[in-house]
Amino acid sequence: MKISCVIPAYNEAENIGQTIALVKPYVDEIIVVDDCSLDNTFAGAQKAGAIVLHHLINRGQGAALETGNLYALKHGADIIVHFDADNQFEAKEIPELINPIKNESYQVVFGSRFSGRPNNMPAFKKKVIMTLARQINYLFFGLKMRDPQSGFRALNREAALKIRINNDRMAHCSEILYKAHYYKFRLKEVPVSVTYHDFGQKISGGFKIIKDIIISKLSN
Amino acid sequence: MWQQIIALIIILFFLSRLVKQKAKKEVNASEFFVWLFFWLLAALAIIFLKQIDALLANLGFSGSGINFLLYLAVVILFYFIFRLRLRLAKQEKEITTITQALAIKEAEEE
Repeated sequence: MKISCVIPAYNEAENIGQTIALVKPYVDEIIVVDDCSLDNTFAGAQKAGAIVLHHLINRGQGAALETGNLYALKHGADIIVHFDADNQFEAKEIPELINPIKNESYQVVFGSRFSGRPNNMPAFKKKVIMTLARQINYLFFGLKMRDPQSGFRALNREAALKIRINNDRMAHCSEILYKAHYYKFRLKEVPVSVTYHDFGQKISGGFKIIKDIIISKLSN
Repeated sequence: MWQQIIALIIILFFLSRLVKQKAKKEVNASEFFVWLFFWLLAALAIIFLKQIDALLANLGFSGSGINFLLYLAVVILFYFIFRLRLRLAKQEKEITTITQALAIKEAEEE
């Protein structure tokens, strides 16, 4: 069973080497998608031994994930893990994320940052932004998930083939959740840890996500 | 009366620009006819402003015809902006598709 890890990266030269080194023991291949970084992300990822795909134009995290998915599927991936480049997730939790796919016939597994594991998410983000995001997911898609925006997830081949990411920017988290429900894949949330190095997505980013979801719904 | 003449002169100016653009093939036929229809409709609305006034009064609206045209123009503008946003979103998606294909091709050739 081939396990590929897709890591979208934008200006992550500082972290990418370490992230790849930490992820490597748990997967068969690491695909870094450099989203037209202005720093040495591309060279750093190559040096660390990842397969590196380069976007000529910055297209956003959703687009970078889709590029990685397409490449992984084309090269025979059975399970695709999405992982962040900035070291906020714990690579050692990858086996826990893919186990339900390998052993319990689940098709999509989402890492939940709100299920008891260490989480240093800023209080405002935790209480206000995430609550709002949960409500938006419920309002637009009828989804009830503990973590509405987790970027740490695993998909089996069948799910990755079906779930095409159309939202290039940050709305892809909601889109993947929605499509996983829409196609009636067997889903599971597993607890994951998160260590924030900065605030991450701001409330303005939240409004951008809502705007992207609406535009995407209308234009598709 | 003179406001109507000024409005018609402005419409004529835009119509002449449209015809010039068509002659230079800067707009395609369907776009040309959409804008031609739009400006002719605007000219007709200006010419028959009094009749529009009367029509609105008959329908029970208190505003004048020119107000109605202004509201209509705002609605039309919003519609065009909305259309533009959708078209832009489609083009953005197409750029992403090309970028993704190039990234994968480049990686496979290495």
